[in-house]
Order: sequence, then C-alpha cells, then structure tokens
Amino acid sequence: MKFLCIPCDEQMETQMDGIMPTENKNLVMKFKCKKCGHMIAMLTNQFETEFVSKIGVELGGASNVGSRPLSMVGSQLSQAKKELDKGKAEDNLVWTEEAQLRIKKVPFFVRNMAKKTIINFALEKGVTLIDAKLMDEVREKVGM
Amino acid sequence: MKTYEDLAGDGGSNIISQVVSQREKLSARLAKIKHKVALMSGKGGVGKSSITANIAACLVDQGYSVGILDADLNGPCIGNLLGVGCEQKLVIDDDGIDPGEGALGIKIMSMDMLLLSPDAPVMWTDDAEATSTWVSTMESTALRELLADTNWGELDYLLIDMPPGSDRMDNIRDLIPELAGVVEITIPSQLSQYIVSKSITKNNRMGVPIIGLIENMATYVCPHCNQEGKLFEGQDAEKLSSQKGINYIGKIPFDTRISRKTDSGSLFYTENKDSVTGKAIASVVDAIIKFIEDKSN
Repeated sequence: MKFLCIPCDEQMETQMDGIMPTENKNLVMKFKCKKCGHMIAMLTNQFETEFVSKIGVELGGASNVGSRPLSMVGSQLSQAKKELDKGKAEDNLVWTEEAQLRIKKVPFFVRNMAKKTIINFALEKGVTLIDAKLMDEVREKVGM
Repeated sequence: MKTYEDLAGDGGSNIISQVVSQREKLSARLAKIKHKVALMSGKGGVGKSSITANIAACLVDQGYSVGILDADLNGPCIGNLLGVGCEQKLVIDDDGIDPGEGALGIKIMSMDMLLLSPDAPVMWTDDAEATSTWVSTMESTALRELLADTNWGELDYLLIDMPPGSDRMDNIRDLIPELAGVVEITIPSQLSQYIVSKSITKNNRMGVPIIGLIENMATYVCPHCNQEGKLFEGQDAEKLSSQKGINYIGKIPFDTRISRKTDSGSLFYTENKDSVTGKAIASVVDAIIKFIEDKSN
C-alpha cells in the first residue's frame, strides 16, 4: 500500500512517531508529504491490524524486535515461555509493571515503534520512569 | 498523477524487502540440509509420528545426521516420543534458537518446546473477542519461523512430521521448494485409504514428488509366537499405490512398542532392528534413500 499526495504528486512517508496502536487493536498510522508537509492518518480496524501482525512484517520498517528469532510465535503464542519474549535492553528507563503490560499488548510489528515514541517523549520530558500516565500523555501528544 | 509503479518503495515500511529478507534467511538455513522429506497422511491416527521417529532412528543407525520438524502445530507430539518437551531450556541468540536434542542425538523443533507446561495448549490468544480469521496465516508464519529460526546446522535429513490432512502441504511446498519428496502413510482401512487417496491426488496435481506409500498397521504381530495376522479389513494398499502410480514402499505391522521409548530412553527401532517391525522400518528407509538417490542421479 502506498500513499500519494495528489497536489504535489509525491509519495507520502510513514511517520515513525505517528504510529499509535491502541489496546483494542485498532491501529493509526500517520503519513506525511515531504514536499508540502500535509499529513494524513490511516486508520485500520481489528481485522486489518491482525492480518499484518500475522505475516511477520513490521510497519515503518524492520527493527531488531521483528528480526529476533521466533518473533511472531513469541509475541502471539498465548502460553509461550518467557525466554521467547525477551528483547534487548534498549534504554535505561524504568518501566512500571502496568506500562510493561500495556506495551506488551501492542502487536509486535509496531511495538518497537510505539516504544521509541514513548522513550523519545520520556527523554524529551526528562523523566526516567515510564508509567501508564506517561503513556496516556504520549497518546494525547501524537493526537490519536 | 503518478501510478503505483512510479512510487519507489512503500513510504518506509519496506514490506516487500522484509518478505524477501525472510525468504533469504530461510533459504540460507535450509541450504545446510541435504534432504528434506515430509511424512504425511490425509487421515489422522495412522501413526505418522511413530513412523517418523523410527525412520529417523533407522537413518541415524545408518550414520546419517537427522532433524525433525514437528509441523503439527496444534497437536505436537513427536517431541514426547524423542524425550524433548517443554522442560527443554530454550537457547536463543541473534542467529536463532537451538533445536532440542532427542534420543539418538536427533535434533527436533516443536511447538511443544515453546510452551509453558506439558498440558498448555497451542493458543494464539487469550482474548475471547479476538478473531480467528487469520489463524491460517499465522500458522504459516509460525511454520516459517520454526524452519528458518532454528539453528539446525548441517544435516543429512530433515524429516517433517506433518499434521493430519493435506492442507499444510501448501505451506511446506512454498517454504521448501527443494523438498525431496513426500511419504504418504495409510492404514489398511477403507476409510483411511479413501482420504489418503485424495491427499495423493492433491500432491500429484501440485507437482509434489511422492516417494511412496507406507501401509502402517498392516498386520498384527503376536508377541508370543511372532506370527503376523490381519488387523483391518480393506483393500490392499498396494493396489491404491498402483492405481495412483506411486511406489508402494512397504508395510509395517501394528506393534504396541513402536510408539514407546525403550527402557534405555532410546527408540523402538534401535533396540528391535531384527524384529519383524524393525526390518519393515529398515526396508522403508532403504526405499526412501533409493528414491532420493535415483532422483539426484
């Protein structure tokens, strides 16, 4: 799927900070025209979101989350061993249990991007603790 | 206005290149395995896993290195036969996950190894409101990950223990285009042959090479006098194979010991090579090897 800015006749680019999945599996992706700056949002329903999650690819480009062995099995299997869900420590921020739970609910193919958005927001704000309140703030900030 | 083809890439996700990269990873992993053989049946309960485990044991006995992929994602059981289950500690690094090492050093990858407990079912979600629309897609992806992300190393044979039915063969054919062939397994009953016949037709139509047909539980071996007797009423499976134009590669008697580990933790074949059943398994293995050798010559 590609998006074209009709006035500029330019391809629109995926915005890494605009991907904000919600727990009910609806997905929002932002695209921006690099020429005129116009932005649009693509909203997907649960069926569309699930489809992408099951073919083992990631929106916004491959990351080290998706390239981990058994990434899809590890993230989707209900009673999987914990070893399958271990990721590399990407930052020194402390995630509360609730925040960890919430980020785990994000489909793996956009989890890394959602994490990056939250981490960047936390760093910008100068906080070291990521909790549910901060996650709500991020969602509000990206306008979704 | 620009068209789809005029736009390079897809705006940043690079889905196509991700899929290509998945394929390359799979190919590189499978390139180290000389022969891939799927064992299947249209019908459940014909003894696929027991036969697969003992064929693996026979191949090991002949000096080959062997791995087994348990492609029965929802009913994984071959790990149990080989002594590898959920208690197996997972060793995962950036390159992949180490396979379990079962009886006789047979390498194995199975969903059973990834689950929390022996009675944990393979469930893709705990969410009661989740849709089941994409389960098939997810299982295809799971199969690819199990094949591509397992550190199989160099192997002479990778046996693929298929689930009942013939639908999974579409995935396997797509994932392993270099598949040496398929071994079809039936029991003598009319019902089993009826379903296996469809499975053979499908493979023929898809151009999947069929190594041959095994008739399992063909006879019953008396544990007291070692005499064979008939167990099922039904058409001779040899006739089915000739009707379908495929090789009949042997009959294996019903033997209660075949699906058990021996007291020493080994597999039936290894400690019963000279039994009627052991000899039948060896004969089947010879036919598989011959098919593969003939094909490569």
